[in-house]
Amino acid sequence: MKNILTIMKKEFARFFKDRRLVLGTLILPGLLIFVLYTLIGTAFADGNERYTAKVINPSQQFSVAVGAGGEDAAMTLVTADVSEKEDAIGEIREGSLDLLIVFPENFDGLLAAGETDAPPNVEIYYDSASSSSLSAYGLAVSALDLLEDMASNLFNVNFGAGGDLSTAQEAAASYYAMLLPFLILTFLYSGCMGIAPESIAGEKERGTIATLLVTPVRRGQLVIGKVISLSVLATLSAVSSFIGTFLSLPKLMGGSIADTIGSYSVGQYFALFAVMVTAVLLIVSLISIISSFAKSVKEATSFSVPLMIVVMLVGLSTMLFTVGPSAHAAFLIPIFNCVQVMAEIFSSGFVFVNFLITVLSNLVYIVLLVFLLTKMFNSEKVIFNN
Amino acid sequence: MQDIIRAENVRKTFNLSRKQQKIEKSPANKKVALDGLSFTAREGEIYGLLGPNGAGKTTMLRILATLIKADAGDAFVAGHSVSKEPDKVRASIGFLTSELKLEDFFTPAYLFGFFGRLHGLSDEAIRRRQDDLFGKFGIDRFAEVRVRDLSTGMKQKVSLVISVVHDPAVIVFDEPTNGLDVLTARVVTDFLAELKSQGKSVVVSTHIFSLVEKLCDRVGIIIGGRMAAEGTLAEISGGKSLEDAFFDLYERTVGGL
Repeated sequence: MKNILTIMKKEFARFFKDRRLVLGTLILPGLLIFVLYTLIGTAFADGNERYTAKVINPSQQFSVAVGAGGEDAAMTLVTADVSEKEDAIGEIREGSLDLLIVFPENFDGLLAAGETDAPPNVEIYYDSASSSSLSAYGLAVSALDLLEDMASNLFNVNFGAGGDLSTAQEAAASYYAMLLPFLILTFLYSGCMGIAPESIAGEKERGTIATLLVTPVRRGQLVIGKVISLSVLATLSAVSSFIGTFLSLPKLMGGSIADTIGSYSVGQYFALFAVMVTAVLLIVSLISIISSFAKSVKEATSFSVPLMIVVMLVGLSTMLFTVGPSAHAAFLIPIFNCVQVMAEIFSSGFVFVNFLITVLSNLVYIVLLVFLLTKMFNSEKVIFNN
Repeated sequence: MQDIIRAENVRKTFNLSRKQQKIEKSPANKKVALDGLSFTAREGEIYGLLGPNGAGKTTMLRILATLIKADAGDAFVAGHSVSKEPDKVRASIGFLTSELKLEDFFTPAYLFGFFGRLHGLSDEAIRRRQDDLFGKFGIDRFAEVRVRDLSTGMKQKVSLVISVVHDPAVIVFDEPTNGLDVLTARVVTDFLAELKSQGKSVVVSTHIFSLVEKLCDRVGIIIGGRMAAEGTLAEISGGKSLEDAFFDLYERTVGGL
């Protein structure tokens, strides 16, 4: 036990005394995620964009359907004469105008009359190379579709009454519930990737592991000390990434992650914590085993990439499907069980049995992996293969 | 005097990769490093394993340090079997070779404390030992300088003191003076002599005759993974210089150079 603590202390000292490691593993990931997501969010979330369209033979009905006229209207309609058509097309090409809509004469009258044998044509000129022109085009077409539907009307859907009952907050919650397991797993994995290969393959590569192996420390103690300390460091790195996400994701996705996070009970958080701890121990053990086989840090990192792809795909599985709460056997599959339990927790469909199966089976896998790692540390073919 | 290290019919083969087979110009995919090697080192003496490169000296010492395992046979260090009680063997020996590196991020003082704790020493014992050894080797001025910033000779001295942090009864040194300048080499040989005067048992491997003549009480000559001759320096030399005696023996064993 004392030896395990000594090994852990050394691993922590190695990490925290190295400013580059602390910066690269604890501070930069969170900061980069924050900056990146905020930038992307600002670029995309320009929801208040306004478009200008010139209209020839303006239609009252269209003006209402597209919602023009109000203070916050997305589209401003400017009436133009037929003679100005060519000029307006030129303006669209230049980019100073978004859209030109040419209605047939007496369009509103045609709408009121209903179906005709010779349907009139509405000309819309736009520039698909300009994003604002394209968006304006989309807006105009959907307004026209609405008008067309109403003209040949059997029934309307959600016109005047009805609508989405989900509040914005609920929508955000279910969105994050799907996204969070993936994010958490990815952050944990990249945290492990930043630390474990260096600590095991790096020590092999530099020949410092042999110095440890000639001390009376048991291989098992060495392995446990390394796995625990690496797991703590990987978790810290994941927390950094998570804080970056926490602060910037609302900007990117809308809604508030804080509302989502605030809506769970202490028990659910405990369950989440337990699942994450087993997940990080599993991942650290797996990467440690890969690192023990590798001859160098570089090799260890490249060997870990295929595993990362698998883990990320498994992380995405909640977006595609969820296993039923009674499919207990599925919770024996490592990593996958973590993702599914996290999804159950986030979507408030927590099933205690599944949680228990997940944590216990993961503990068994971890013990087996640590045992395997100890065997590997005992094997000269593995440790001295470089 | 009691036996402190005893190797009994130790065999060790290594698998050769294709590339190594080409280098060795051998179609066999195995190389016999130790072919039933036996020797005995006694308590309180300096024992020298002498032999050409590739004879199996380092392999034997690595087996004694429990870094690698013998295919057959066994070796005993201070009464403990290297195959059955590797932890106890490691606790009773100090092992130094150039392949054991120190994490160059840390300072000598930190590493000395770290390895001292791994050997189960108290903080007080570590401090006393550090004062003593750091002073003796002139490391005290560099105690808080990171190993990566030390000179090669100073690094070697730090490795040396760390390998004996637990004041082991048995010291195993692989090529103790290889790659050292004359000054550092002298410090190391003086230290070996001092260890002997403290009653410690020392095993060194080397291919340097003068080192054996200067330090060793008894010698074992390894050729091709076997013990070609073993005895006191006088018995082995038989009135000649050790170098001449070695070449006579080599000719008899292998048949010419």
